[in-house]
Parts: sequence; structure tokens; C-alpha cells
Amino acid sequence: MATELQNVDLKTDEMIINMGPQHPATHGVLRLILTLDGEMVRHVEPILGHLHRAQEWQGQNRTWFQYQALIDRVDYLSGMFTSWAMARSCEQLDGITVPRRAEYLRVLVSEMNRITSHLLWLGTYLIDLGAMFGFPFYPFREREKLLDLLEEIAGQRMMFNYIRIGGVQRDPKADWFQRVKKFTDEFPQRIDEYEAIVTENPIFLKRTKGVGILKQSVAKDYGVTGPCIRCSGIPLDLRRTKPYSVFPELKFDVITYDKEGDTWDRYMARILEMRQSNEIIKQCLDMMPEGEIMAKKQMAGMRIKAGEGFAAVESPRGILGCYVTSTGGEKPFRFRWRNPSFCNLSVLSELLVDSPIADIMAIFGSIDVILPDVDR
Amino acid sequence: MTHDAKPPAQPEAPLEPGQYGQFLKEHGIATTRLADSCGIETIAIQAEHLPSALKLLRNSQEVKLDLLITVSGVDNNETFDSVYHLWSYSHNNELVLKVMIKKTDVPEGKLPMVPSISNFWSAANWHERETYDLVGIRYSGHPYLRRILNPWDWEGHPLRRDYKQPVDGLNDKNPHSFR
Repeated sequence: MATELQNVDLKTDEMIINMGPQHPATHGVLRLILTLDGEMVRHVEPILGHLHRAQEWQGQNRTWFQYQALIDRVDYLSGMFTSWAMARSCEQLDGITVPRRAEYLRVLVSEMNRITSHLLWLGTYLIDLGAMFGFPFYPFREREKLLDLLEEIAGQRMMFNYIRIGGVQRDPKADWFQRVKKFTDEFPQRIDEYEAIVTENPIFLKRTKGVGILKQSVAKDYGVTGPCIRCSGIPLDLRRTKPYSVFPELKFDVITYDKEGDTWDRYMARILEMRQSNEIIKQCLDMMPEGEIMAKKQMAGMRIKAGEGFAAVESPRGILGCYVTSTGGEKPFRFRWRNPSFCNLSVLSELLVDSPIADIMAIFGSIDVILPDVDR
Repeated sequence: MTHDAKPPAQPEAPLEPGQYGQFLKEHGIATTRLADSCGIETIAIQAEHLPSALKLLRNSQEVKLDLLITVSGVDNNETFDSVYHLWSYSHNNELVLKVMIKKTDVPEGKLPMVPSISNFWSAANWHERETYDLVGIRYSGHPYLRRILNPWDWEGHPLRRDYKQPVDGLNDKNPHSFR
């Protein structure tokens, strides 16, 4: 008897799957509830709050001096930027002018911090995509050199507590600058090494080209900032749009890499930003003035004048802002953080729809989200 | 908790409307100008005018305030404020909008209500959820107003001035508490 192929009408249903807080690729504790139709994602609901440490509550119940040390932990990969946002907003209220040497040191260490953040992003992104061959050892080799330099100047490898209200904490010795110069001379070759492995790699191209295209209108609606929006065609870089510190004196361009607005563009934008930060560091080393480094005495009972204000910096993830209200007392009245990861993560529910499960990590990794930044 | 902390004082005499206050007045929305927050125009608006004002500010060509930086909630001692920081992607404009709801206007046991803007501005979605979670301002018309940072069944709103922590680890003198 001939077998007859029957057209069986398979009834399919949507499946709800939990991509739980414990996941090696979510860079922290992010829970995603995915509604899947086969392989395709139909709806995603991110659930936050697993790493909520009440930083804004701490901002109301710790003194100004104590709080400065706590906020580095909000975004641990770019601790300098969070301290800088707090310092800028408090200096605005108090009317402090930061000395020029302190401003140059701030730009120098924060651009080093930007490079360390992007290096870690690059290493972990490749692991998320499945490149288990030990690629992160390449970027982490440079990251270790930078962290050693930052440890000499700030005392810590990650939670620097270096940029304070009124200036910076410590003045480095003369030979520190020479070692930073030596690093900047070697670094472009190293980026060429990473690019040789990754940029034209056919597997990487297949996973990231055309994936996660972020349209301009969607990005504007969700308040996306940082490399993600610069890859969608809007050149918003706070260092050039609303320049602060000594950025008007430095020569650099806004990196927009908006061929298509997909994941590969976001990867290239961060590579180019690393090269650009290297150039900015070289300029800072050449133009470093002499002088003082602190304009406000750092003591336990220090106070900031009454008022309210908002100040932001361009962190590796986007616009990191701080809305501070002060009553002139020994504790702040309200500290509200505007974290770029929180705002960029909300666009995930638009980006992931109608893409296969395998693209979730490619898209999510390219937005470069740090969970403590989201949850505070 | 700092119960004696007072918010910064507002000026006594009403100020002249600034650029954005003037713009909104031309379109029929009355606003009050508050003290500038470090040089940026700050205006207070009534809750019912908020969605139309924001639509105007976002869509007009000369005042293109289309980057919603943040929606914050502040518990000043007499009012609950919902504060909107607006920037622009293309121009160099900045504005701070506040909706101030007096605590005496809020019925006992209920939360202050502010119309939600997340139906036309998706950036506000999570910010409004966070303000509801931490300060307790209810946004009417929000599609999914649920706690976002604290667990869903948490009681109380932590950033209010009268919030009592469930466990006060700092001042706990009981030697048998679990550490």
C-alpha cells in the first residue's frame, strides 16, 4: 500500500518562556519573559529590579561626602562618569569653578574608562554570540594595563571614587603620564588585532548584519542615547552638542556609523570610539596644564548650596544625568539618576519582536546594557 | 529620615514668562514660571494641561523638545511633583516642566493622579512606572502601571518623606538580628 502523505494541519500555540535572571549573557540579572511562536519572538517583557539597591533612597539619607563613594557602583564599568555627573550637578548648584588641571585629568581618566568599558563589552559580546575560543583574553589584556594605571591614580580598579565635587582626588606622579603615553602608542595596533579577528569574520557578519535595525523614529520615541542613536543617524554626542569641561578645546568628531542602524554598525561605532578616545587621551597628555586639582575641601560635613539642577555627561552607554535638589543641609534632598541603560533597555521590546531567539543575544548585547545601571 | 529637610524656597513675586511659557501661552495653556534650575527655564503646569502641552512642545518646528530625558517624582513636603526634563535631539533647547499636586488635594488613602504621557511618548513608560513605584504618583491612562524596581507586592513608596523601612539595619540594636 502506498503511503499517502497527509497534509496534517498542525495547530501551533504560543509558548511563554522565561529567560531568567540567572543567565550568562544578560550581563547582570535581567529577566525576560518571552512569548514565542516557534522560533520567533512575538512579545518580550523585561522584568527589572533584581539588582535594585535603593541608590536614590541612599541619596536622601547619606551625607554628600558619603554618597560620592556610593555612586560609582551604579554603573560599575564607567564609574568615573557617574561620579562626574554628580560632581557636575553639585558644582553647578554650589557655583564652584573646577581648576583646569582637574578638568583635564577628569577627561583623561574618563576616556580611559570609556576604553575599558568598550573593551569589556567587546570581549563579552563575542562570548554571547558563541565565540568560546578565548577571544576576551585579547581585549582584557589591554584592559588590565588600563586598570593598573587607574589603580595607581585612584586606588581602586573599578569603583574609583576619584572624581569628587570640586575636582579630582589625587595628582599622579610624572612617570604615570609617560606610562599612559606608552599605552596610547601601542593601543591602535591592538585594536587592529581585534578587528582582524572580528570585523570581516563571516560568522560574525551573518549574526549581526541586518539584525536589530533601530529606526530613527523608534529610537527618538524611546529616548535612546549613546552609540545606539548615533548609529541610527542622529549625531547626538553630549561632548559636542552641549559641551562641558574642556571638550571645546579638544579635537574630535562625533562618531556616527549609520550605514543601516543594525548591530554590526553599533559594533563598528564602539571600535571607532575606542580609537577616538585614544586620540583624546593623547591630546590631554600634551595639553595638561599645571595647577591645583581640588576647589572644594572634601570633609565629612560638606554642604552644597540650596537649589536644584540637572547635569549630564556622555557615558559609554549614553547620556548619564543627575537631577539634584539641595536644601543646603548636610544631606541631599533628592537625587534622581537618569541612567542610559534604563532608557535604552526599554527599546528592547520593539527590537526583539519578529526576530528569532538566536538574535536576542546579538541585539541585547549590542545595546550595551549594564544591569546595575538599570536597577540602581 | 530627614523630616526637617525643606525644599528650596520659591520666589515670592510671580516671574515673567520665559520663552517656553510664552509659547504655551500663545497656544492657550497657562503656566507659572518657577525659579530657574541652574539657568534652565522651569515652569509649573496644571495636571490636565500636561498631555496637550507636551504634544505641542514635541511636535512644533521651532521648539522641538523631543528628547524626554527623565520623568522624576519628588516628594516635597507640601506637594508631590512630577518633573519632566525635556531636551532636543536637533536643537539646543532645554526645559523643565513640573506638575505639582498639593498633598491637601489628595484624598486620604489615595495616590495623586497625573495624566500619563506614555501613550504617545514611549520613553515615559518605564519612567512613570518607576515614579509610581518609588514616590507613589499614579499615572492615569498608563497601559501597564506596575512596580518596576521593587517586587510587585511591596508595600509603601520608598522615596516618600514618611517612609518607614521594614527593617532598619543601620539603627537596629537587637543583638540577635540576622546579619
